Amino acid sequence: MANYLDGKVAIVTGAGRGIGAGVAKQLASEGAKVIVNDIGAALDGEGSSNTPAEQVVEEIKAAGGEATPNYTDISTMEGGEAIVKSALDNYEKLDIVVTVAGILRDRMIFNMTEEEWDDVIRVHLKGTFTVCKYASILYRQQRSGRIITFASESGLIGNTGQGNYAAAKSGIAGFTKVAAKDLGRYGVTANSICPRANTRMTQSVPDSARQLRADRPEDREAAPPTTQMEAEDIAPFVAYLASDQASSINGQTFLVYGGAITKLSLPRRVRTIFKQGRWDVEELRELAPQHLTQGLVNPSPPQTPK
Amino acid sequence: MGTLLKDKVAVVTGSGRGIGRGIALLLAKEGAKVVVNDLGGAVDGSGDSAAPADEVVNEIKAGGGEAVANYDSVSEMAGGENIVKTALDNFGQLDIVVAVAGILRDRMLFNMTEEEWDAVIAVHLKGTFTVAKAASILFRQQRSGRIINFSSTSGLYGNSGQANYGAAKDGIAGFTRAIARDLGRYGVTVNAISPGANSRMTQTVPQSARDIRAASGIQANSAVTPLELNREPEDVAPMVAWLASDEAKGVNGHVFHCQGGQISLMSNPTEERTLRKNGRWSVEEIDAMFSGTIGMDMANPAPPQAPKE
Repeated sequence: MANYLDGKVAIVTGAGRGIGAGVAKQLASEGAKVIVNDIGAALDGEGSSNTPAEQVVEEIKAAGGEATPNYTDISTMEGGEAIVKSALDNYEKLDIVVTVAGILRDRMIFNMTEEEWDDVIRVHLKGTFTVCKYASILYRQQRSGRIITFASESGLIGNTGQGNYAAAKSGIAGFTKVAAKDLGRYGVTANSICPRANTRMTQSVPDSARQLRADRPEDREAAPPTTQMEAEDIAPFVAYLASDQASSINGQTFLVYGGAITKLSLPRRVRTIFKQGRWDVEELRELAPQHLTQGLVNPSPPQTPK
Repeated sequence: MGTLLKDKVAVVTGSGRGIGRGIALLLAKEGAKVVVNDLGGAVDGSGDSAAPADEVVNEIKAGGGEAVANYDSVSEMAGGENIVKTALDNFGQLDIVVAVAGILRDRMLFNMTEEEWDAVIAVHLKGTFTVAKAASILFRQQRSGRIINFSSTSGLYGNSGQANYGAAKDGIAGFTRAIARDLGRYGVTVNAISPGANSRMTQTVPQSARDIRAASGIQANSAVTPLELNREPEDVAPMVAWLASDEAKGVNGHVFHCQGGQISLMSNPTEERTLRKNGRWSVEEIDAMFSGTIGMDMANPAPPQAPKE
């Protein structure tokens, strides 16, 4: 047992399996008392089971740590409030929130159903809001706290068949940047992780979709094979961000996988055209292709019909 | 009248006022037939009225263009479908979708209600999905089409008091990048605009909120410049018109920031600095390495303040 998080209390959502389980165990091994939240659903969000959260709690206790399972659905306000309350009821305080819970419902945009859209947005995006909202009320009062959310390269770079997931994950990145500015003055930090890891979630991506993505240069770059990247590799950096040592790291997005930790930039102006006053369409017809968009690569170039 | 968009049919959501109106007028001026969609609600999303959409349609017709009004809510699947159907019923085809419709419900995160969250996500994010989804079925079949969505610096950089709006607007950027990859192979392009303009929407941000942000040392949007005062909602339209044209067929999956006479191609978040080792890090190792490497010069956008007495 190390002691980076001695005396801290943490919530980890989606902590029954994969990256979340790794984070929960790491935080506990650093001395934090952990609320292990997992509804125990299938990857597509169906069903529920207490088993995954209980197993992680047992592992933490067997290693000498403290943890309590929680099975609440984070996609409702009541769920977010109940998780925060669970931390207070069991450990009388809350210092760290890590929101990992998520589901996948991949589908090309032209086939995506309302339910596939709504479910993914609700679990990822609203599920991040509900817990952070209630935690932030406490954090503001106590003038301290940590929020660590989970975004994805699927949202920041783009990935075929994930219009819903990319919207949710990029939305979480935007949410976190705002939360950092809303809460920073109260001594709170909010940062995002884009993880790469081989988990139940990435294993569910069908080989046909992998092949499709691998055929495209930009997508290949965006999503390299994750077989050597274990879910547990994400946890040490999350524990560091959760510690007092990281008190001034706020509003950042990090890409984390294997032994790599990368700071991602905000979007930058790559090229700019400027004139005094409004552009005329005829002017843009000449200047946009010459300057603004010259050499841009279409990530999904037109194909002849089969 | 220009001819850049001759024989094209466009849908512009939220085009009863502001940026959307400017786009509808310019697309029509360049020869497109336009479905002017606007629910006619207040900035906070309450109420509805046919007047704003009708006025823009009348303006287009008075200028010699063709347009039809639509009052559906974009935040429902049926609304998205009906907007696309309106284009087909009236003009027999659809080539261009511009999704501008949006509302604001600013609130600090610790005070934000479920209703404020849900309403903003529904109109911006789902409202972008519903129309794009319905249009993409057609676009895939006809192997052509343009989708132009609206993101914001509030999402790309974060803006205090806009957790809901920032989530929706960065979500739209992510959605745009993903579906650009779904649809590009069918000859369709999908891009996003991050606009800077003085409109009814920005005017609702109280000066007190701006003052609080400045006084608290909270960074303003990096993209907001002293040009702020000279940026009309109509300034955003020319780039949208060009992206909607056949000439922009190779431009897919990008975000452009447009304000006044300034148009920038924005990068995606890119890898700045990496800390790397073989195998898994320990927390102690990260603690020893971080601040002197990738953590150097990392500014807190909202540094802690001493409590007010």
